[in-house]
Amino acid sequence: MAAFRLVGLHKRFGEHTAVDHADLTVAAGSFYGLVGPNGAGKTTVLSMAVGLQWPDEGRASVHGVDVWKEPLRARRLMGVLPDGLAMPERLTGRELLTSLGQLHGLDAAEAARRAGELLAVMELDGSAERTLVVDYSTGMRKKIGLATALLHGPKLLVLDEPFEAVDPVSAATIKQILKRFVAGGGSVLISSHVMALVEQLCDTVGVMAKGRVVAEGPLDEVRGGRSLEETFVDLVGVEIGGSEGLSWLVS
Amino acid sequence: MVGVLIRMKLAVLRNTATGGKMAWVALGGTAGLCLAIANIVLAFFDFAHPRMLMDLLAVTFALWALGWMAGPAFAGEPPLNGQHFHRQPIPRGTLALGLLASAMVAVTTAVTLLAFTSLIVLAARLNLGAVVVAVPATILLLLLVVLLSRVVMLLFGALARSRFGGVVTATVTAAMIALASFSWIVFIGIYLLLDHGFPPGLSMLLRSLPSSWGLLSVEAAGRGDRWWTVGPLAALAVLDVVLFLVWRRLLGPRRPARAVVRGSSAQRAAPRGWAARSDLGVLYLKEMRTWWRDPLRTQNIVLPAAFSVITALLPLMVDFTGFFPFVGVATALMGAATCANLYGQDGTALWMTLMLPGKEKADVRARQLAWLTVFGPMTLLMTAAGSALHGDLFLLPWALAANLAALGGGAGLLIWISVMDLVPGPDPHKSKNSPLDHGDVTGQSFLMLLLTAVAVLPALGVALAGHLLDRSPLLWASVPVGLLVGAACHVWFGDLAARRLREKGPGLLQLMRSGKRQAVADAPPTAPAPSAFETMGVKSRFLMWGSMAVGVLALFPQGLVPLGVKLSGSTDRVWFLALYMPDPWQWPVIAGMILIGLASFGGMTAVYLAASRKTKENAASRKAKKEKPSTA
Ligand SMILES: Nc1ncnc2c1ncn2[C@@H]1O[C@H](COP(=O)(O)OP(=O)(O)OP(=O)(O)O)[C@@H](O)[C@H]1O
Ligand SMILES: [Mg+2]
Repeated sequence: MAAFRLVGLHKRFGEHTAVDHADLTVAAGSFYGLVGPNGAGKTTVLSMAVGLQWPDEGRASVHGVDVWKEPLRARRLMGVLPDGLAMPERLTGRELLTSLGQLHGLDAAEAARRAGELLAVMELDGSAERTLVVDYSTGMRKKIGLATALLHGPKLLVLDEPFEAVDPVSAATIKQILKRFVAGGGSVLISSHVMALVEQLCDTVGVMAKGRVVAEGPLDEVRGGRSLEETFVDLVGVEIGGSEGLSWLVS
Repeated sequence: MVGVLIRMKLAVLRNTATGGKMAWVALGGTAGLCLAIANIVLAFFDFAHPRMLMDLLAVTFALWALGWMAGPAFAGEPPLNGQHFHRQPIPRGTLALGLLASAMVAVTTAVTLLAFTSLIVLAARLNLGAVVVAVPATILLLLLVVLLSRVVMLLFGALARSRFGGVVTATVTAAMIALASFSWIVFIGIYLLLDHGFPPGLSMLLRSLPSSWGLLSVEAAGRGDRWWTVGPLAALAVLDVVLFLVWRRLLGPRRPARAVVRGSSAQRAAPRGWAARSDLGVLYLKEMRTWWRDPLRTQNIVLPAAFSVITALLPLMVDFTGFFPFVGVATALMGAATCANLYGQDGTALWMTLMLPGKEKADVRARQLAWLTVFGPMTLLMTAAGSALHGDLFLLPWALAANLAALGGGAGLLIWISVMDLVPGPDPHKSKNSPLDHGDVTGQSFLMLLLTAVAVLPALGVALAGHLLDRSPLLWASVPVGLLVGAACHVWFGDLAARRLREKGPGLLQLMRSGKRQAVADAPPTAPAPSAFETMGVKSRFLMWGSMAVGVLALFPQGLVPLGVKLSGSTDRVWFLALYMPDPWQWPVIAGMILIGLASFGGMTAVYLAASRKTKENAASRKAKKEKPSTA
């Protein structure tokens, strides 16, 4: 059974169709990379798939559990990192993680242990120990978000641009964590703009453009002997700009 | 540059003009227009005392200025502000000029300008020279209030970033609101003063306020006194320029220094003991930490308390201490009104509540309990202390019953309103350097004030019955009644809020993400039909809120309160219209006021029901339309 299946998800904002009947399937145990230009609808489709936004049409299911019909069971199976949303801001990282752990049903000692490990791995302890989330930097916010997604030991991770603004050392750590997670039988769905990173991590890719999924499949099949970047440019159907116009900039 | 900024402002106004907002603008605009016209009419009056007209106009101008200074505390930052242009290489002077010009493009500015033309009316009654002086004086006066508002806003914004600054700004704002909203005491006072004019000291004070300098010039021009014509006018112009320069300076990039609140150390971070025992405990601890650490919350606590205390102290001018026992009630009422945007203040953090399986109810209860923890002991203490200071225990059952009802009612209603009528604003981490940059919560605060006041009524009704029948046990029975009504509100509205959060969570998140309400069509067909609040047209909203405003004014300050005063046997007239009537007319006037109030509420309900019926019909027809193609 697929770890995550989105069927015909559709969303319009007024006249604008942000997501146009998108289908995606993340096989169990796979590392899925979703790529697409700015405004392609990645964030929207992921929000709908995890139950944070109402779709106009379509369904999503996690390991066979419908996200909209059985939200409670589905949410237990998922760890989610949305893009650019706030958090309970007036808590420190440790306060946030320990409370969340307890809300997820972990006992106090276990929650504290997991929180400690995650904070250490993300380098959010030590000098940042007493800093409130509201005062975190952009990268620190990403990392604490990631920690909250991992905390309850989900079977599926849905991460919207997890590496954006994260420093290279932390990024390497996170990659390592995600690889171990997949090796242990978990499934991951990430969206990203960094083709090299997707090629390095993912075994399956999906390409979105203008709200549609234009290609989906194993990495090597989709890129067909070329680099993912070239394939991407082809699939998305745009010329690389920047060589014409803007003459005032170089004079 | 100036033209560009004005066009930007118009574009912003156009893009944010939703039905609900337009209704508020219309309502506020109409109210303002009435005040402005009253102001102009005042300038046509003749008074027995020669200085009276001048003093009265000085009072009204001071009140307009006060309103401009206190307004931003509720309305949030203006749509275009200096921060938006920091990265553009625009000279600060040009930017300030442009922002000033764009500030002139607003309903509020137009209404205020109209009010200030009373200066020209006054001048026209004097001579031509005065009119020549009055025109620039009017414009300078308008510039004065707009600049004052902007400068105060920036200063407050800088202050409010720390908790201590929050206390200061909240107290000052509370004083301004109290003065502005109880300014009618001034008019009653004036009624008493009609024959004698203002006491010379007060008159001097009023005339020395910068908002009166234009008046001084015009008056002097009428007398033909050249020096007193030019002097105040020039001083006003200089003050405007100084304010402009100060503003220009403050517009610069904000200095990064901000009092950073630190969290707890690693050992004390985890919820333990009682807090770890249930979801409610965990969430309650989170909420209490937020109350303690967030400067905006500090303001939300101090403002109601300061407002109530100042309001109770004001009637001391006429030696009336009857408000003292009610300081606690007033704080609870105002506290419910100012804190009703709990979810809106947290911004998109709502997603985390939504992703936790089944914790909506605990979240709602935790927030209610935290609010009660903050306001409960404080207001009860105030009631006790107020009663002790007032000296006689006659008012204690009334105050205690109302306090309990307001606490419970407030805790229930505020969480319900915070999900029903959520006001989106920027996420907390984006506005950490400009805490006043929140959504416009004026409408929400008024609505909360009204609803909580309604929750207090049953208890007061019992107390009234006890008083009329002269049965002390019945009078005291109002206390358990207040407690009961409060508890019922707390439980029932809390449940409603949790249910709505569960059913409409993603819709609320969407609202906070995009900052405006989505069209109804965005909800899935299975979602519950939207409430009429969200869908009713501009005209219905206008009617509804308008009749509510009239209802509140007639029923509470002019109906029930004088009723209470009269029943208590007091001969103090304070500032209640009815009590200034000849004796046989007092009861009919009170009854009339109460009738007007009730009728207005009836009207409001009727409008709401009509809109609600229409919404349901629309939803049904939409559903039918949707189903047709799929079956065909
Ligand atoms: N709340 C909203 N209201 C209106 N339009 C929206 C809303 N959210 C997204 N959109 C529109 O939907 C489209 C898709 O947005 P989305 O954020 O999903 O793109 P994305 O693929 O995540 O882009 P990026 O790579 O830049 O993150 C955009 O055109 C955007 O303007
Ligand atoms: Mg995105």
